[in-house]
Amino acid sequence: MRQMHRALHLAVVAAVVLGLAAAGWAAEITLEKINRTGVFTVGTRTSSPPFGYINKQNEWVGFSIDLARLVHKNIEKKLNKAIKFELKESTPATRIPLLSSGAVDLIAGTMTDTRARRDSVDFSLTFFVTGAQFLVKEGGPIHGIQDIAGKRVGAQQGSTNERIIHERVPQAQLVVFPDQPAAFTALVQGRVDTYTNDGVQLAGLKAKASNPKEWKIVGDVYSYEPYGMAVRKNDSDLRAIVNNSLMEAIEGGEYFRLYDKWFGPKSEVPYPLSDSARSFLMMQVVPK
Amino acid sequence: MPFRGHRIPAVSLGALLGMNYDFQWSVLWTGEHGRWLLQGIWTTLRISALGWIVACGLGILSGALRTVPFRPLRALASCYVEFFRNVPLLVWFFFWYFGAPQALPRVAQDWLNLHGPEFWSAVVGLGVYHGARMSEVIRAGIQSIPKTMLEASVATGLSLGQAYRLVIIPIALRLIIPPATNESLNLLKNSSLALTIGVAELTFMTRQIEAYTAKAFEALTAGTLIYLVLCLGIASIMGQVERHFRIPGLITRAGRAEH
Repeated sequence: MRQMHRALHLAVVAAVVLGLAAAGWAAEITLEKINRTGVFTVGTRTSSPPFGYINKQNEWVGFSIDLARLVHKNIEKKLNKAIKFELKESTPATRIPLLSSGAVDLIAGTMTDTRARRDSVDFSLTFFVTGAQFLVKEGGPIHGIQDIAGKRVGAQQGSTNERIIHERVPQAQLVVFPDQPAAFTALVQGRVDTYTNDGVQLAGLKAKASNPKEWKIVGDVYSYEPYGMAVRKNDSDLRAIVNNSLMEAIEGGEYFRLYDKWFGPKSEVPYPLSDSARSFLMMQVVPK
Repeated sequence: MPFRGHRIPAVSLGALLGMNYDFQWSVLWTGEHGRWLLQGIWTTLRISALGWIVACGLGILSGALRTVPFRPLRALASCYVEFFRNVPLLVWFFFWYFGAPQALPRVAQDWLNLHGPEFWSAVVGLGVYHGARMSEVIRAGIQSIPKTMLEASVATGLSLGQAYRLVIIPIALRLIIPPATNESLNLLKNSSLALTIGVAELTFMTRQIEAYTAKAFEALTAGTLIYLVLCLGIASIMGQVERHFRIPGLITRAGRAEH
């Protein structure tokens, strides 16, 4: 009995000491952490062309990654020293835990800014606007959200569109996959009738498919998906750097140059920037 | 990094764990979430139970075949065991879900697509994979029985099949309860991989709650505790089984597992 008491006592002391040490770390803002470690870690996608993916040359590239590099440059400028730029894979299911636990400092992938997510993370300005549609085999019976009742609809876990289908068309048989390649394979193999995701992601999948002509993106967009970068909550210094980087890029034209590189007519995933999206982006830029 | 203990505003669990995070446990039962968790547990138990039945059937059959004095049957069972236990379970799930149905005729594929191909692929994947592992447990049990026992059984006039069915396997099954419990717990935990082929089991549901509420730590903690409780439950049932079926004086030993 006495021994047990002693063990308990020891455990409590250990927990308190650990807690104090950890609390010290928790109080550290991200910029201090980056300054101390010399590394800026960005969570992004590996299979969402062209935002973050492994290309044919086996390089990890993408539009979101290029934008994160602009943030990286500004962090170096702010801290006045060279900082290592590191990428880490983050999926819709893992990205918030990765960010909250400190494993990554910024999420720059294909994350839709939502009110529920704002409870857990802080978002940057919107850097891309899209909406959900359906990918089907050419000539199939599905032409939009009105046709999916009773059909087997593939979706990606953690995505906003999965949630909308769940709420708006409960008769659809949702089959939810943890990642995009599995969902697309299920579509190719006929395990599901259609796959739904943000239109631009479907365009990316179609472009990467072995025979892009076989696939068709159908339906009006049934959701609004503004992509933002995410930082830990209450980390306004880093968030300001992220937002300023995006504003500088939009104002200075670097954003549109990158847009053309990844979504232009000659790119792998042509996805023209609509006039309304362009003016929306411009209006987010506040005066200096 | 100097200690900055004085900055702790209030000692919350989040601060103790070193995370800038406020725990909100109510997300586990508000709205649909409680129902999701229960559905997840139910699906996990169903896949595991069905997979376990398949695994035990295949395991007992191939485990026994690996010990029979007839080479082609031994070789057949060895092929099964080595092939299935030496490829990762995740790969088998993909195989049974994406690959295997392609071999079926179109009509059968359509039928399968209407009857939950994810679920059945997961059952088959788990069952066949763990059958191969269970087989080794059973072989070890059979081989630990002295050879003279088989000889004595045959000498009393039993055929080889009868000797296995009536003497060797009943004793072996009792001997292997501890390692078989271990294997069954692995099976239950491995069922979580089924989420990769779209089965809405327990891990899937905890991730679903995380996706809807962005409360990852609460959801993962709930998942962890539920698996722990399920596994402890199974372990204790197997402990009861072990006690209930023991043959007095034959294979009882001191230090039996207590639960």
